[in-house]
Amino acid sequence: MRPDRRLVVAATCVALYVAVPVLCASNLYLMSMIVAALTIGGIALAWALLGNLGGLVSFGHAAFFGVGSYASALLVMKAGWPIAAALPAAGMVAVLSAVLVLPALRLRGAYFALAVLAYAHIFRIVTTEWTSLTNGAKGLSNIPRFPLIAGFDFASKTGAYLIVLTLVLAFALIYARIRSSHYGLALRAMHESEAATRAVGVNSTLLKAMMLFVSAFMTGVMGAFNAHYINFLEPDYAFSGLWTMLPIVAAIFGGYRTITGPIVGAVVVYLADQLVFKEVMPVGHQIILGALLGLMILRAPDGLLPLLTFRRRTGTILRHA
Amino acid sequence: MLEIADLGVRFGGLQALDGVSVGVREGEIVGIVGPNGAGKTTLFNAISGMVRPQRGVVRFGGRDLSRLREYERARLGIGRTFQIPQPMHELTVAQNVTVAQRFGAGRIDAAHAEEVLRATGLLAKRDADAARELSLSELKALEVAKALAMRPKLLLLDEVLAGLETTAKRTFARMLAEIHQRLSLALVVIEHDIEAISALCPRVVVLDFGKVIADGTPAEVFNHPAVIASYMGARAHA
Amino acid sequence: MTELTLQALWSGVLLGSSYALIALGLAVVFGTMHVINLAHGELVVLAAYVAYTCESQLGLNPLLAIPAAVIVVCAAAALTYLCVDRIAKDRELNSLLLTYGIAVMLTNGVLMLFKADIRSTKSTWLTDAVVMGPLFSMRSEIVFFIVALALMALLWWWLTRTWSGRALRAVASNRDAARLMGIEPRRIELASFVVAGLLAAFAGVAIYSFGVVSPSLGTTLTVKAFVITVLAGMGSIPGVLVGALLLGIVETMTTTFGSSALQELAGMVLFLVVLFVMPNGLFGRART
Repeated sequence: MRPDRRLVVAATCVALYVAVPVLCASNLYLMSMIVAALTIGGIALAWALLGNLGGLVSFGHAAFFGVGSYASALLVMKAGWPIAAALPAAGMVAVLSAVLVLPALRLRGAYFALAVLAYAHIFRIVTTEWTSLTNGAKGLSNIPRFPLIAGFDFASKTGAYLIVLTLVLAFALIYARIRSSHYGLALRAMHESEAATRAVGVNSTLLKAMMLFVSAFMTGVMGAFNAHYINFLEPDYAFSGLWTMLPIVAAIFGGYRTITGPIVGAVVVYLADQLVFKEVMPVGHQIILGALLGLMILRAPDGLLPLLTFRRRTGTILRHA
Repeated sequence: MLEIADLGVRFGGLQALDGVSVGVREGEIVGIVGPNGAGKTTLFNAISGMVRPQRGVVRFGGRDLSRLREYERARLGIGRTFQIPQPMHELTVAQNVTVAQRFGAGRIDAAHAEEVLRATGLLAKRDADAARELSLSELKALEVAKALAMRPKLLLLDEVLAGLETTAKRTFARMLAEIHQRLSLALVVIEHDIEAISALCPRVVVLDFGKVIADGTPAEVFNHPAVIASYMGARAHA
Repeated sequence: MTELTLQALWSGVLLGSSYALIALGLAVVFGTMHVINLAHGELVVLAAYVAYTCESQLGLNPLLAIPAAVIVVCAAAALTYLCVDRIAKDRELNSLLLTYGIAVMLTNGVLMLFKADIRSTKSTWLTDAVVMGPLFSMRSEIVFFIVALALMALLWWWLTRTWSGRALRAVASNRDAARLMGIEPRRIELASFVVAGLLAAFAGVAIYSFGVVSPSLGTTLTVKAFVITVLAGMGSIPGVLVGALLLGIVETMTTTFGSSALQELAGMVLFLVVLFVMPNGLFGRART
């Protein structure tokens, strides 16, 4: 990274880790919204990664979120695992669930998108019915909170904020690394010239599967985080369509071709939804979200934020992720 | 090195290849000619793995390729170009070569990449958008470059001269001959231009209706009565 | 035991006929435009709620609500098409996002207007049992089974015997060639959406008449219609019929011999099995 870019990144990190808690910690309401927004942001990032690198659009990310939530909660509650180990393990469980989705890769783009949605339905039903494991529709309550470490209570809003922030930034880093690697090159080329890549030795199916796994992992970890933050789970909540909807709107709003776009988009969209839309239309606030999505697709498919901030693209090659 | 035995490929009602048997030795240059629809590209597709034959077998270095996918065959050392150039989109020329090296040859070698670009005359265009900023002859050169970057043992060239005007054709043919000499890899060349093929390939195989009707030196083959008969209509286009 | 099986099969066929209408609508649009309308299930639910409104506010039998349902749903379908038409690029994927947004709007709109309660028809004429030999069914099931068959026959006739139907098939197979022959693709695309809306409208009133509706049913139905098209294999209309019947039968069998909670799961499992074992569906053509 160029030196001035590094400065910006460093400054942003300081601001995020230090300034935000210092300024907002007293306002618990605001902090809880920021935490929720970042959770959405993490999923939005994972969703955008799958779309940009993997070339796959999914309408069922709630599936991975829910699987991760339950996996982590159960590992801690029933198997006695520490939360720090349960989080990545839950991510891996989400990856395993994504293995089930693999056959859907051979379906055409639109079909794949819906197949994941079908999986979300399946997981929700299984979770509801498998009462011996998941307590079914009654849900799991009193899920263990984040622990006290070195005197700092990570179960507090600020603590949770620091955790989710770190997770999201870590994911962003992974995304950036993949994108700038040779795999990233191959993945980019695969969108429109998959045959050409295969002819030079690229196992395109494997690469797409890997992107699915990475995306599932990230989303699963977000679900796991949320479980220990909210301390309560039930199938309809964990697999709720909102965990699919909000990240999609967030990613499109913030510009899904960039890495920071989905995260920033999530913060803006979530705050707008909680503070404005819900005030205007408490029951049907999702209508505004749906309308927003529709309008964005028609007028600004690359995202509203890039449009509004007049971000210029340098060169033609760098145009796409 | 490459052995094709009794290969049969069928598309619905059309028998594209009907019992084709042909062999290519290491370092050989073989030309493949035949009227349109004779099965030439299908043959390449069967060798490179894009099409699954209903019968027969393709062996490379003694190994049966039946179970291997295109990318696995590419990594084994079978490179190919496409009749209609298929550059890797959203990448520069240099990046096209990089991807081919990384995934086809298994490792990046900057010096080798330079050589490939120089040999194919693309050094000046290394940062150009491969899909959008290249002329037809440059695109065809890129096809060759991508294949070479994989360090292949066998290179399948599908009508790489078609669509180029005469001087470009000659330069290209010269480039291919040089590459063959320097890297001593086997070339299998599909072309319609009989002169070019005769100049470049000491051995020519003629396909018609999915069958091999002649296999020998250009002189032998182009005076063969069956070949002349099949080309009677197509001669005008050659 | 066999009586139970026979009954389940029969109910499954009746249910499957309505599923077929829904899936056909989705398939017609996809065939013509390569666009999957994620709001399709919502169109069905919309029709159901029109029937509900007619019944609860005007005391009309749901069957009489059909014209109103058709008008409302076809209008909604046409509006959806107009939005999809205005997508600038990457239509196949962007239309998914757009129709997804529309679906969310419709689901929540219905939720706002009608609340989350489950609704079904109060008409005793429709819910009365009809006994045919050893087989029981609700009158509404029989009525709408016949209606579904009639509609499918009509659709087949339209696609194969009329100029506009043939034009639709032309556009589905080769858009540019169709244009060269004087067919205006956009008119045909609009027609495909409206036809899908028509089928959805009937299916919606049907489900209201013999089943239950709630705002969340929309997504479920879209998923089921999608599952049927996967079962059928791409590009196969007869396959859609068979797939729909199969799904209906699997669901009723599960309810009869298993539990109603597993009903939805059974269909999904069927989907998974087909996906793993027969990715081209039952009738689909293999992709080259």
